[in-house]
Amino acid sequence: MLSMRELSRVYRTETVETTALDKIDLDIADGEFVAIMGPSGCGKSTLLNVLGMLDSPSSGSYVFDGVEVAGLPEAKLANIRKQNIGFIFQSFNLVDELSVRENVELALLYHDVAAAERRRRVDEVMDKVGIAHRARHRPSQLSGGQQQRVAVARALVGNPQLILADEPTGNLDTQHGEEVMKMIQALNREGSTIVMVTHSPAHADYAGRVVNMLDGKILIERRRAA
Amino acid sequence: MWRNYLTVGIRALAKNRTYAFINILGLAIGMAACLMILLFVRYEMSYDSWIPHADDTYQFQSWYHDHVTGEEAQLQMTPFAAGEALKKDFPQVEQAVYAWNNNPVFFANGQATATKDYLFTAGNLLDVTELPLAAGNRADMGKVGNAAVSQAEAIRRFGTDQVVGKTLTLISKGQKWDFKIVAVMKDLPRNSHLRINALVNLDIHSFTAKEPQALTCWGCQNGWVYARLRPGADAKAIERQLPAWEKRNIPDQNSGEAHFNAGDDQDWHLVRLRDIHLGKAQGGAMSPGNDRTTIVTFAVIALLILGMAVVNFTNLATARASQRAREVALRKVLGATRRQLIAQFVGESIIVAVVAMVIALALVELLIRPFAAFLDADLKLTYFGSGGIALPVLLLVLIVGVLGGLYPAFFLSRFQPAQVLKANQSSAETPGSGRLRSVLVVGQFAVSIGLIICAAVIYAQTVYARTVDPGYRRDHILQVEELSRYQLIDKGEAIADQVRRIPGVDVVGLTTIGVATDNQNNTGVMVPGGSEPLTIGNYTVDEGFKDAMGLTLIAGRWFDPNRPMDDMTLPFPIEPETEKALAARGANIVINEFAAKRMGFKNPADAVGKSVRAALVENEYGLVPVTIVGVVRDSRFRSVKLPLDPILFQNANSGHSHMIVRFHGDPAAIRAAVERVWKGFTNEVPFTAKFSDDIVQELYKAEDARAKTFAAFAFLSVIVGCLGLFGLAAFTAERRTKEIGIRKVLGARVRDIVRLLVWQFSKPVIVANLIAWPIAWWVMRGWLNGFDTRISLGPTPFLLAGGLALAIAVATVAGHAIRVARSNPIHALRYE
Repeated sequence: MLSMRELSRVYRTETVETTALDKIDLDIADGEFVAIMGPSGCGKSTLLNVLGMLDSPSSGSYVFDGVEVAGLPEAKLANIRKQNIGFIFQSFNLVDELSVRENVELALLYHDVAAAERRRRVDEVMDKVGIAHRARHRPSQLSGGQQQRVAVARALVGNPQLILADEPTGNLDTQHGEEVMKMIQALNREGSTIVMVTHSPAHADYAGRVVNMLDGKILIERRRAA
Repeated sequence: MWRNYLTVGIRALAKNRTYAFINILGLAIGMAACLMILLFVRYEMSYDSWIPHADDTYQFQSWYHDHVTGEEAQLQMTPFAAGEALKKDFPQVEQAVYAWNNNPVFFANGQATATKDYLFTAGNLLDVTELPLAAGNRADMGKVGNAAVSQAEAIRRFGTDQVVGKTLTLISKGQKWDFKIVAVMKDLPRNSHLRINALVNLDIHSFTAKEPQALTCWGCQNGWVYARLRPGADAKAIERQLPAWEKRNIPDQNSGEAHFNAGDDQDWHLVRLRDIHLGKAQGGAMSPGNDRTTIVTFAVIALLILGMAVVNFTNLATARASQRAREVALRKVLGATRRQLIAQFVGESIIVAVVAMVIALALVELLIRPFAAFLDADLKLTYFGSGGIALPVLLLVLIVGVLGGLYPAFFLSRFQPAQVLKANQSSAETPGSGRLRSVLVVGQFAVSIGLIICAAVIYAQTVYARTVDPGYRRDHILQVEELSRYQLIDKGEAIADQVRRIPGVDVVGLTTIGVATDNQNNTGVMVPGGSEPLTIGNYTVDEGFKDAMGLTLIAGRWFDPNRPMDDMTLPFPIEPETEKALAARGANIVINEFAAKRMGFKNPADAVGKSVRAALVENEYGLVPVTIVGVVRDSRFRSVKLPLDPILFQNANSGHSHMIVRFHGDPAAIRAAVERVWKGFTNEVPFTAKFSDDIVQELYKAEDARAKTFAAFAFLSVIVGCLGLFGLAAFTAERRTKEIGIRKVLGARVRDIVRLLVWQFSKPVIVANLIAWPIAWWVMRGWLNGFDTRISLGPTPFLLAGGLALAIAVATVAGHAIRVARSNPIHALRYE
């Protein structure tokens, strides 16, 4: 699905140059579930942002689905992103002014999907993550776990090839965290490719492959026997 | 998609009530101001455009430019002779009609009543200006002896508007004139410079038989000339030929050594009907005009207020951008393009503009009547049709929506989702927007301060104009008009004698100049050694005038009834013998300070005893040698807008137009007693008398209304500016909660924090003062220069406006500052 070669991301300020990603090589195949771990500041989030095309590499190559995306203009990136990638965030990032249903639907508004089709797919995906009964509520009326399910639903509704999750359980208690992880695992089993950043070794165990990072480099990759 | 924008937009507004309130209220005020001014401007521009052929119909005006002093006066009036010469020399002129208002008396059933806006015409005015008729036909007005009345006047005088065929009897020049009513005019709309209650066609030659010079005089502006040009004729081409035309037509007047030509100081202009109301010439106008500057000023102020409201919108939108940042980032992650985001935010801004417009329209509906009454304009709020505001309303909403939303839209859509979406960064201050906000706040306050200064100066000048020492005692004067009627022409002294006997009456004077009288009479004065005649105001008074008016003598003496040389009484109509005798004999005059100065005397005392020669009789008899026996202090009889007149007073027992009654005690009783005396002399001239205080108030009414309108707009701008500041303060205080919490933990007192926040918001106000002061000073200096007597532009209004703005800003911010400063820092820190 995607491959990175000698990919670097360097942040510069007037005085300091920070290498967030240092010549990373990474391949992810269709249907994989990859967990990225590492201490704070090791470059996990940067890697995820570059993967999700929210950030561009300073050098190196990033081929997504056969297309070299390093150096593409923002509008093109936005287009590839909306067709292929779904995001789940630690802090959910739901729009407070919109109901659960509208939040989920939001992802489809930027795809050319007819209203009836939108409705069907939103219903389907809400059902899937188990928040259909909360469709009319506002995010602020839901528990953290429920909010994250909404976020997952939103990430899923566009049928992305790749789901990127940035510490999806970071703001949740153990029980809700487990629930969300089970849901993500189920998605993976249904065929979604998932890349997840996490601090929790327990949650990393759900993944098929664990990538450990330190100081912008990939330290160890560990594959779990399928 | 749009429904989604709409939902988010409306819910975002509903969530931030303060923000929504400030934006919507501010915009509503700005829009309402704009709409009302728009209606007013449209009304002012619509004058006379409704008259058929308004583009081919002109008023012939004479504009004065004194070639010695450079003084200017633009009159709408023109001499009769000029109209005749115009008709004769230019075939492009299809028709030209002379019309004048002689204030005739309406006479019916043995009762005389004063008339208002009765026009005498020498020709058919209805053919030149095709005023709409309710009955009769226009052509009939071409015949001498026929009359047309307006519907309202017909009902007032006859109780019905079915008056065609009835007789209209007027008294003018002591004579009764009967007219046959042949047409009824529809009442003229207010947006016309014409004021006509009745029109009568009469033979001007027999009317002026006793004073034939009125028809040949080129310096006598007593009426208006209206001309219709043939279709396609070029008025400018005619105007270009007028200097040569003037040389051909205006005869020289020679009297001894002085050569006058009435054309020397006059230029002639053809002014389209619709350009008269706002035209440069406002002297001798049938109805008070307006000037373009005032209208443009109002329009600019309305736009400034709207601009401030738009700035509020932009400011608050960027200030609270951090609250929307997450949504923007998220939408971007989900694939929104920048263009879609910009469309979304501009759309939201348009929603706000729409809501504001609904409120603005409600405000306009509520306020339009008082506003119209106040400005004395006939303003109507209609939505559709030619005068409708539907299109401007739509445009205003779009322009305001786009202007207000565009910058925030670009600003918000620029966010990088990767930075915004990181946990714990959602409420980060977005860089860069702070500076722009400061600039905009400074701009807003500069506008507010500038407007407050202007309002203060205008108000001060208006009060000053009303209360300035006019050079005479303005209180306790009853001014009686209409003394120049034929019926009373030699009865002035007799009436004055009887009035003097009324208990409570102190002094009575007869005069041709009084408190804000229209009479303007100038004459040429030759000073020994001078080569050109000086133009000096020339007014006939009696011995009682000085004390009745309360003039101050500063050199020499006043007129004395026991000295024959003081008396310049001439019979009416003119008798060549007495005129010649006066020119040979000479007479004594009193002048004012300014006249003494103009005649070249170093001080008033120098003038006393000196002789000059003045054109006080018909030119053919030569100049009259006159000796200055006294000098009085300058008096401002007219509006302070007009320059001071140099004046020569001549003393006579007749030929006066006004009686000045100085009294003490109950004004109403005095007035009634004077009226009884008047009624004993005539029942053909209605008694018309006004108290000086009322006259002065009327004189400055328009200025007062303008000053108050200006003050109201300045006040609105301050409200809009403060709304914005209030919003910014609220958001800043909220955003700095954490910082304040930390400061408090480190030991800052409430006082320190309040001071910190208040100072932060005071700085832009102080900078705004530095910008506003020089601009306001420059603008107001220009405005004050339009007044002949004016206040000096001291620091008071500037300091006052600056202090007021600062006080309002501090008061606005302090509330928030105190609340935030008092809050427990633990709460603030826990949530971050």
